[in-house]
Amino acid sequence: MENIIQNLGQFWEYTGFANANYQYILMIAIGLGFLYLGIKKEWEPMLLVPIGFGIIIGNIPLFPGLQVGVYEEGSVLNILYQGVRQGFYPPLIFMGIGAMTDFSALISNPKLLLIGAAAQFGIFGAYALALLIGFTPAEAGAIGIIGGADGPTAIFLSSRLAPDLMGAIAVSAYSYMALVPVIQPPIMRLLTTKKERVIRMKPPRTVSPTEKKIFPIIGFLCTAFIVPSGIPLLGMLFFGNLIKESGVTRRLANTASGPLIDIVTILIGITVGCSTQADKFLQLKSVEIFGLGALSFMIATCGGVLFVKFFNLFLKEGNKINPLIGNAGVSAVPDSARVSNIEGLKYDPKNYLLMHAMGPNVAGVIGSAVAAGILLGFLS
Amino acid sequence: MKSIKYILVSGLLLLSLSLSAQHQSSMRINEILVTNTSDFQDDFGQHNGWLELFNTSYGTVDVGGCFLSNDRNNLKMYIIPKGDVLTKIKPRQHILFWADNQPYRGTFHTNFTLAESDTLFFISSDGRTIIDAIAIPKDLGENKSYGRIQDGIGSITGDGEGYAYLDRTSPSTNNYGVDAETKSMIMAKTDPHGSIMSLTAMSVVFLALIILAIIFTYVGKLSVRKMQKTSDATAVGKDESKPAAKVSEVSSETFAAIALALHLYSVENETHDDESFAITMTHTDRTYSPWSSKIYGLRQTPQIKK
Repeated sequence: MENIIQNLGQFWEYTGFANANYQYILMIAIGLGFLYLGIKKEWEPMLLVPIGFGIIIGNIPLFPGLQVGVYEEGSVLNILYQGVRQGFYPPLIFMGIGAMTDFSALISNPKLLLIGAAAQFGIFGAYALALLIGFTPAEAGAIGIIGGADGPTAIFLSSRLAPDLMGAIAVSAYSYMALVPVIQPPIMRLLTTKKERVIRMKPPRTVSPTEKKIFPIIGFLCTAFIVPSGIPLLGMLFFGNLIKESGVTRRLANTASGPLIDIVTILIGITVGCSTQADKFLQLKSVEIFGLGALSFMIATCGGVLFVKFFNLFLKEGNKINPLIGNAGVSAVPDSARVSNIEGLKYDPKNYLLMHAMGPNVAGVIGSAVAAGILLGFLS
Repeated sequence: MKSIKYILVSGLLLLSLSLSAQHQSSMRINEILVTNTSDFQDDFGQHNGWLELFNTSYGTVDVGGCFLSNDRNNLKMYIIPKGDVLTKIKPRQHILFWADNQPYRGTFHTNFTLAESDTLFFISSDGRTIIDAIAIPKDLGENKSYGRIQDGIGSITGDGEGYAYLDRTSPSTNNYGVDAETKSMIMAKTDPHGSIMSLTAMSVVFLALIILAIIFTYVGKLSVRKMQKTSDATAVGKDESKPAAKVSEVSSETFAAIALALHLYSVENETHDDESFAITMTHTDRTYSPWSSKIYGLRQTPQIKK
């Protein structure tokens, strides 16, 4: 009898109830919040649902040494987490993105590429701000990349520059990507006049299949020669696009853009969620990262919109760009382009900006990968 | 013919010898500790002075047969035994010798000890060529090491350029390492506000995308010109046997406009009759139809005609 009581007592020690504290409970509440936003509000459900549930998994209070926690070497979760930690999930996701992306809008109007470049001001604005409040340059670079609005890039860079902050950075990046429709419109309205919002852009020209095929090849060569440190992301992005556009590797493209990206998205979401263990996540730094992440998104949106206004000064009447597509320079594909379209329709119900906004949107993906490569080169 | 063979063989031998010598010349004296009272112990639990060599090359170097000495007049003082696999130093790796005057303890125990103000030499297997030399400072002190600030980098003449008193001893490992300044730390000093970094990085991002934009502006122009040529040729009817412009070269807006125009035309003019038949999926009584014949769906086996 005594043994049974002893065993039960020992068992109690192993339970989550015995090891719980308010931090774990708070993190579980945050995870539930993510699930609510993902399921009920349908805000980026593909990301918020796995991350939200991952947060709950990662914050079940554990008795140390059971070899089940994400940070316990050799545990199943730890093995899955290596894809995040070593940074091999993000390039796989980029391959899928490449295989899903149609660069036609960009090829038909290459000057839209510059909007994608301008929106990267968010990254470096946040970098400077992070330095100002005391982060090291490597940490600041990892935080700044949130402004690129690209979850996989944020994970890739933070795993290299600031692994300790990766959980907070990844959750922040994905949260703000989900909040694009909330963050961007007020800034777009603030920075544009009514006249500018109704600018009608020329319809994009037809892009030949040959142009689509050579774009990923030339695109990769141009960017990779300038920023070799961005090769993992750029290489996979353009490779994914090539297998889509080549027309002869349809099965590979279907796999990359379908089952593969889905599998990796599940793994990245759940493991990033798990990595937000209360003792590692609930710090003042995480709050600062969330603040800086919001600012970087705002700066990126401002950068894109203001750059279009500036660019319009040099464009002839009839060739002008609607500044409402400037926000799409952040690479939250296709949400930010959708925001441009919705805002445009509010002021001119026949002015569909979606196709035009897709140009800077996909340029933003390239731009953020290039920016990540530069930060990696300078700071790692 | 034989003479050519001899020339080739001797040439190859010479080449291999010179390569071997070249490899040995990649070795550097990297770090030394003279007075060891509480630093690392050797395999026998003894505290002795030590010297570290570093292979600066990206190939394996065998130091067997090379010499170590602290006497300019006796460069062949200690020969590193040949035939020991442990004397093959892998690329960018280190090797440690205990200067304990106890050579019978193994390959890595020299027959001399080090003293402050000595000059240490590393000599090629020819016994004459000094590959590296370093003068040991006279005030080195106990348990302090003197070595290259960065592995393998600095003078080889013994003048001490590139050497420093190291903050910590690091036998068999990098002299700079965990304590070395990372790029991030250097950046924190050189660009504390991030302005230089931001400007540089934004310039590079713009540069990369501007180049891409320029290339595709020209590619686009070429493509449009080619499409126009194709459509002109079709319109003029130069070659009527050629099909009209490729479907992919006609924009979807054009198709939509044509479809809408036809629809409006047919509605307004009531030219579109109601057909008296319908396409269905209903089973028919006909037992055979070429539509359902498997023959037409199978690939014919090629037959060789003799």
